[in-house]
Amino acid sequence: MTHTQDKNSMLGQGILIFIYLAILTGLEFFIALTFRSVPILVVVALIKAALVAYYYMHVYQLNADTVEDENSYEYKTGTNRLGLWLFLISDSFVFGGLMVMRVNLLGLTRPNLNQLLGLGVTAVLLISSFFMNRGETLMKNGDRKGFLTNTLITFVLGLGFLVGVIFVEWRLAAAEGLTPSSGPAGAAFYMMTGMHAFHVFTGLILLAIVWLNGRRGLYDEKQYPVEAAAVYWHFVDVVWIFFYPALYLIGAALLA
Amino acid sequence: MRKTQPVATGLLLLIIGGAVGYGIGLGIDLLVTQTLNFSGSVASAFALLLAVTAFFFGLFGYRGITRGLVWQVLGTLIGGFFITGIRALKGLSLFGAFFFTEPALVFGALAGVISFVFGVGVVSDWMKWARGLDTPEHHEDVPGWEKYFGVSLDHKVIGIQYTVTSLVLISVGGLFALIFRTELAESQLQFLKTTFHLFNQNGPQIYNSLMSLHGMIMIVSILLGVSGIMNYVVPLLLGARDMAFPRMNAFAYWLAVPASVLLLMSLVLGGFDTGWTGYPPLSARAPVGIQMFFLGVFTAGWSSILGSLNVIATVLRMRARGMTAMRLPIFVWASIATSIIALTATQLIGLSFQLVSFQRLLGMGFFDAAKGGNPILFQHLFWFYSHPAVYVFVLPGLGVISELLPVFVRKPLFGYRWVAMSSLGIALVGFLVWAHHMFASGMNEYLRVPFMYSTLLVAVPTGVKFFSWVATLWGGKIQTPTPMLFVLGGILVFLLGGLTGPPNATVSTDLHLTDTYFIVGHFHDTIFGGFVFPFFAALYYWFPKATGRRMSELWGKVHFWLMTPSFLVLTFGMMRIGLLGMRRRIVDYDPNLMGDQVLFRLFNHDFRAIDLNHSILTIAGYLIGISVLIFFINLFYSIKHGEKAEGNLWNSRSPEWQVPSPMAAHNYEVPFEVVGEPYDYGLPGSKYVQFVSQPEHINHSEESAAHSEKKRH
Amino acid sequence: MRHFVVVGILVIVLAVAGYVGLEAAHLMPVQASAQAVPIDWLWNLELMMISFLFALIVVPMGYSLVVFRRKKGDTTDAQHIEGNTTLEITWTIIPLFIVMAFAYLGAGNLAEIRRVDPNAMVVKVTAVQWSWSFQYPDYGVTTDELHLPKGKQILFEMTSLDVIHSFWVPEFRPKQDVVPGRITELRITPTLIGNYKVRCAELCGTSHAYMEKLVIVSSQADFDSWMAQQVKLAQQAAATPEGRGQALVASSGCGACHTTNGAAGIGPTWFALFGSQVKLSDGSALTADEAYIHESIKSPQAKIVAGFETQLMPNYGFNDDQINDIVAYLKTVK
Repeated sequence: MTHTQDKNSMLGQGILIFIYLAILTGLEFFIALTFRSVPILVVVALIKAALVAYYYMHVYQLNADTVEDENSYEYKTGTNRLGLWLFLISDSFVFGGLMVMRVNLLGLTRPNLNQLLGLGVTAVLLISSFFMNRGETLMKNGDRKGFLTNTLITFVLGLGFLVGVIFVEWRLAAAEGLTPSSGPAGAAFYMMTGMHAFHVFTGLILLAIVWLNGRRGLYDEKQYPVEAAAVYWHFVDVVWIFFYPALYLIGAALLA
Repeated sequence: MRKTQPVATGLLLLIIGGAVGYGIGLGIDLLVTQTLNFSGSVASAFALLLAVTAFFFGLFGYRGITRGLVWQVLGTLIGGFFITGIRALKGLSLFGAFFFTEPALVFGALAGVISFVFGVGVVSDWMKWARGLDTPEHHEDVPGWEKYFGVSLDHKVIGIQYTVTSLVLISVGGLFALIFRTELAESQLQFLKTTFHLFNQNGPQIYNSLMSLHGMIMIVSILLGVSGIMNYVVPLLLGARDMAFPRMNAFAYWLAVPASVLLLMSLVLGGFDTGWTGYPPLSARAPVGIQMFFLGVFTAGWSSILGSLNVIATVLRMRARGMTAMRLPIFVWASIATSIIALTATQLIGLSFQLVSFQRLLGMGFFDAAKGGNPILFQHLFWFYSHPAVYVFVLPGLGVISELLPVFVRKPLFGYRWVAMSSLGIALVGFLVWAHHMFASGMNEYLRVPFMYSTLLVAVPTGVKFFSWVATLWGGKIQTPTPMLFVLGGILVFLLGGLTGPPNATVSTDLHLTDTYFIVGHFHDTIFGGFVFPFFAALYYWFPKATGRRMSELWGKVHFWLMTPSFLVLTFGMMRIGLLGMRRRIVDYDPNLMGDQVLFRLFNHDFRAIDLNHSILTIAGYLIGISVLIFFINLFYSIKHGEKAEGNLWNSRSPEWQVPSPMAAHNYEVPFEVVGEPYDYGLPGSKYVQFVSQPEHINHSEESAAHSEKKRH
Repeated sequence: MRHFVVVGILVIVLAVAGYVGLEAAHLMPVQASAQAVPIDWLWNLELMMISFLFALIVVPMGYSLVVFRRKKGDTTDAQHIEGNTTLEITWTIIPLFIVMAFAYLGAGNLAEIRRVDPNAMVVKVTAVQWSWSFQYPDYGVTTDELHLPKGKQILFEMTSLDVIHSFWVPEFRPKQDVVPGRITELRITPTLIGNYKVRCAELCGTSHAYMEKLVIVSSQADFDSWMAQQVKLAQQAAATPEGRGQALVASSGCGACHTTNGAAGIGPTWFALFGSQVKLSDGSALTADEAYIHESIKSPQAKIVAGFETQLMPNYGFNDDQINDIVAYLKTVK
């Protein structure tokens, strides 16, 4: 599918999808403020995840290989793609388990958190995904400089997300009395954000590696590492697409 | 003579290392606790670590596994001191009965695992890639035995590494079983008394630790055994040169080594008394050993996840030409089904143990009722893996049975498609049955009936396998060399395990049966029938492929005829006393459980019916131990001195037997193409595979046709 | 065809013989509750199924091994039979119906053992490492022996103070886990007079094996006279602090770990404890006075007696008055 599109339409598609995602995120926030329907929030999150998985993570590429020579780079890339997706499926069971834990312990309540900060870090992560997609697209079209700039922006935004969660949100929550040992809400909040932050952290390491090697022109021909880092980064975003409503939007806030 | 020298050096250094380690540990313990504790944990931990490391140093020198172990020890110490330093800055307590405090031990152990993989060198290629350096596609192994003690990317070497590690763990777990089986031979405490002290535990605590570790060490050894067979056999059956991701394959194996070390450390560091299930709140209160146990299982879990990821990718991407879905060897279908479970569900046991670990470290009240947590939630997360896990154990075993039966019956596998699909069916239904372990747990009552239905449903695809096996045997021309004996034994024992399952599935009867020796007998039947017997069958069957020599038929048969009756006596006895009220996991039992009449007096002990029953079980246990010992001697003797195996030893249609043994370094020098059905025994002139002498000259349109057909499946 | 007839006969013979043999072996303990009846009925049905299916698989297997062995010197393959779709469908569908039938019967069976008698007598069960205590709210009596009248449904309302335990009297059949932080229920109607034991069936730590208490099922009249005596004893004990303390430690199961005769236990002995010198694990020593005992009951991990470092005593949540009673009792243990 991507093979038939030129650079500008691919970039345009990235922008369009980002606008959709931004609107949906706003919609989520609005629903949470007004009529608090959990099913709608779930559906919106599923739509967002599907958009990211299809247009940013290019899940359809799993089916795209037409090469027959098993020793070719393209065939191996197909195998690597499959391996990465299998890994992501496996990993998503961790996050699924955390969601089960959250639903079981908290039900239709949620920790009392700073709503603006939550929306802020969510926006930062979403924007970082957009730049990641832009960087990957540019690299595929041979624009190394554009790739480096956009990856750097992604990295900075990702770092911003990490700082926002670990050094701002955690401190604010602890100051309000929500600590890991304060009860199920605290336990669920720190465990879920902590596990996600760990994945963001590893994603940042991958981005750094890809950026440094990209600067030396390593990916001008063999571009799969760029794609892999991008797919992983988007996956971390997809996880947050579910965690954000689960922690910030669903149900009634528990006062600490 | 020259060949045995490294082993002798290793054993010598083992003793010296153990003694030196014990001395160091004793000294450190004296410094910290001001007491000279000869049976304490610290001395034993140092002795264990130094002894193992020194053994491999003597055997192999400072490289490969030795370097990994040294790095693991150093990493643990550095990680531990790092946290201790932070605690010093915060003014918290620094040292305890286990030298380090619990957070320091956990962090140290984690750092130890990471150090191990760096030390052994299995991540060095990835590190080079991260720095933008290129590495050769394949590293050539040195010939000889030494390649098995260092990092190799060859799936055959890794498969053997897995298998050997699995056998080592089976011996350790079996040894534990014999120790506590001895204690159980008579009622009351004989040697594991409350006055007995070892590793900071008294007798009953040691019993609990050994019993718990027997469970988990056996589980890990089975996971490694499964990986071993899959690693060795699957690429050969597919005609692939190697697994899809050789480096990750090696990485997955080498994770299992520090995991095994951690599991052993859990015994030494205070043990734990929770059983392998580690239910909180008991596990939240257990000694620090449980943290080592959690981390060991977590690491072994990752090994299993990455290994199965590799298997799936290999099967999907690296099949020989013409190997369509319905022409896959049946063992490959079983491997796929197993790998789907291991890839996904394993994360949940890791997560559940992680949550308990954090509950202990940070006071996070996931499962702490006093903090609003839910102890039952753990059981749901835990069994979501741990029930499907039994299908991870048995599906490859059932695959081996289905794979070997046609060879020794000289008849096609009856209903190939149905057998293949039943594996997937078991795997998928297996995801929906976990709560049948919790019928008495106090979970929501309305969950019990749906889980009863789903559990009983598993009987259907399992039944399809049994009926198909019987139909395969019917009207065949049956031969019974050792591998076939184990296949038949596996079917019989698994049948007993399967038939004792439905009473546990129907809720009301399960309320009587759960947590008794009936369950113990039932699951030993399923695991022995579903894994242990087929595993031995596979070892006897593929041993000649790996070594070029055969194992002794005579001693193989002795092994079988000693193990099978003993095992049947063992499990029947377990189920009998379980029904009468013998609970699981108890160090001592009511002497009047089967009546208070004294049958006879022996060794200064009144033998009542229950004592007699348990003594018989203990003797049966020892006989199984002896039979496995015979197997080990046979195995090691045959590596060098076994009868030379030439050609197609079992007269199989499978591709790996069409080329000489042992297998060449890169598998098939000439690639093959699948031209027929895999199990068409008795069809004159048919062939499963055909070797393509010059692959470059294949007509291009044929090639793409073959490939597109392959892709469709 | 001859093969099938022989195998068919053998299957029937083995199935019947297997069932008769299993039945004769008296696999289950005596039936001592109304709930045991449906369970044993279903179990019996399952024994029949097990015997039949065992014969159905093992007989043709054994028969093939004997009859269809490859003859010496024969190197040919067997007849090429790939499979039979009708057969496969048959042995998918029929077992499917059988297991669904069992699930249906099992659900009915479960409903039967959970049948509620509105006049059931409530007994509150408290489990703690490694002891049981039984409270009869109707009589205001707490004991460490379970006495039950024959023929009356008992509703056990159970909870745990520390870890998960499981309440099981094998002669009654059903067991139920006892979970901290929640109340689990079990209904039993004893039907057979006799002495049994309640055993903890969920691993709960070091002395799990010994977590047993006597269960005595007696006639309603015997139960009533026993209960009248207990009520009198409870009233007498409640009159003095040491009496209240003794009753409290007895009903809380403290004796599972602490002996009163100086013998070694899981925890320190109480024999001549009060006023004695206690050596702590950090090397220091102190006198066992009121303050020390209060602290040790309220936060058991605060000061650990040397030699008991690996044991964890639960917090029982006693209030100050109760602890004063216990102290008064401890003073009498000499």
